[in-house]
Amino acid sequence: MRKSMIAVGLLSVVLTSGCALGGNGPGQAPGAAKDGPLKDATVTVASKNFTEQLLLCEVAAQRLESQGASVERTCGMSGSSAVRAALTSGAVDMYWEYTGSGWLTHLQQKETITDPGTMYQKLSEADKKNGIVWLTPAPANNTYAVAVKTETAKKLGVSTLSDYAKLAKSDPASAAFCGASEFFGRDDGWPGLKKAYGIDLPQDKVAELAEGPIYNAIGTGNPCNFGEVFATDGRIASLGLTVLEDDKKFFPPYNLSLNVRTATLEKSPEVQTVMEPISKLLTTTELQKLNAEIDVDGKTPEEVAGAWLTANKLN
Amino acid sequence: MERVTVPGTRRSTAWVVPAIVLLLVVGITVYVGSVPLDSSETRSLAPEVIFTSLWQHVQLVVVSTVLTIAIGVPLGVLLTRSRTKGAGAVVLAAANAGQAIPSIGVLVLLAMIFGVGFWMAVIALVAYALLPVLRNTMVGIRQVDRALIDAGRGMGMSAREVLFTIELPLAVPVMLAGIRVALILNVGVATLAAFTNAGGLGSIISSGIALNRMPVLIVGSVLTICLALTVDWLAGIAERRLRPRGI
Repeated sequence: MRKSMIAVGLLSVVLTSGCALGGNGPGQAPGAAKDGPLKDATVTVASKNFTEQLLLCEVAAQRLESQGASVERTCGMSGSSAVRAALTSGAVDMYWEYTGSGWLTHLQQKETITDPGTMYQKLSEADKKNGIVWLTPAPANNTYAVAVKTETAKKLGVSTLSDYAKLAKSDPASAAFCGASEFFGRDDGWPGLKKAYGIDLPQDKVAELAEGPIYNAIGTGNPCNFGEVFATDGRIASLGLTVLEDDKKFFPPYNLSLNVRTATLEKSPEVQTVMEPISKLLTTTELQKLNAEIDVDGKTPEEVAGAWLTANKLN
Repeated sequence: MERVTVPGTRRSTAWVVPAIVLLLVVGITVYVGSVPLDSSETRSLAPEVIFTSLWQHVQLVVVSTVLTIAIGVPLGVLLTRSRTKGAGAVVLAAANAGQAIPSIGVLVLLAMIFGVGFWMAVIALVAYALLPVLRNTMVGIRQVDRALIDAGRGMGMSAREVLFTIELPLAVPVMLAGIRVALILNVGVATLAAFTNAGGLGSIISSGIALNRMPVLIVGSVLTICLALTVDWLAGIAERRLRPRGI
């Protein structure tokens, strides 16, 4: 009896020792704080839970750490609304948001704006009263888009969303569509897109999947030829997909901008100057490249963020 | 031999669970009616959406449970026969793994290899719920009093007759307990089917999470709970009916 108790005890120690091994889990602050203008600052960086967001969470966190800040990460929160709620409540200090999402979803504005500059102006003005500052936007436009395999697009003769709406009427089976929960729920997602282009697909030709499997589904054409993608995703190129042109300009601009709480900026105004050089380096092609390193090459967001910052001499 | 009774199956307390379910359903209906809903919430909580999701969920649970029983019970019986002693450990280990592996991982893997849809979700659900049915079948048969089996053989029954007239009927209470567990597990895990286009109440729950809308999340979760309670209650009634007389 005694021997088996000792054996069980040893076994549990061996198994639970794995828990003590390092790794950046959410809410962990790795490494000692460096010296720099943000030496006494403690900030929490958050993000949504898809590849680009996880990458940018690390980019922000590592950049701030290189300037001396003590950073806590809550990367990978479960959706746009969740992380926005965390920001407005003060649970987190900053996260990267898209201008279109802010305008239509968070601020529930009905006005259609197609110019990125105007969008940013009105948005940052309007959000000031919520205690949120939108830092200078990046050129990257990570808009929702509808993608299809390039050969299939040529075969079906579809290159714009208007063509797609026509295809949905003439051949619903070939026009089957895959999307994720959030896209089907948001006004600037499927419901709005359907109305703007008059897309009329029977319910059994519309499939709901988690975001990841959508790319694979479009690539194999099963269960859909067309699907919801993000414009800066690295898998568009690697899977041979084409993005349909938004000829009626339904989707607003979705430029990246770091949202920071006014209170955080008042306490540590250097955050703005430290993060400024990063925004202008984030173009759509740059992000596609970085996203592909994670999604296609299998590197971790931490690695890719670190390498990118080093290459641009920002850490 | 001791009577194996599961709480909540006696006539006197059989009304408790349906009353709770009714209360919960009435409660969320009143809640949804009273709270102002925005466009996303109205879309997600439209009656057609709720009923379609509920029906898809019921289909997933029923089909996967029938398959789990169809696979688990015969397999469990086979593994208690003296010829197959060694195989028992291997098969139980596989069933254990099926329950331990996260179902969402299984679903996405199946989606990548075979495609999405109803039957892939059913496969993942069967893998998950096999363990209780399998193990309870084996335990149920093994706990049958050896003396009764000997008596049967002594009366001239063949091994097959002993199985169907003595072992299985006496194992039914324990087997049904395992099947009830499998049913409840299936109701819970079937919420993941929404991620690979098999619908179900999970799609309401994942809308609520993705869009951070409390009413949607609450309705999806409460309906799943109600379904689990109802399924368990029905299984309890079935258990009382199928229990052989005199046990």
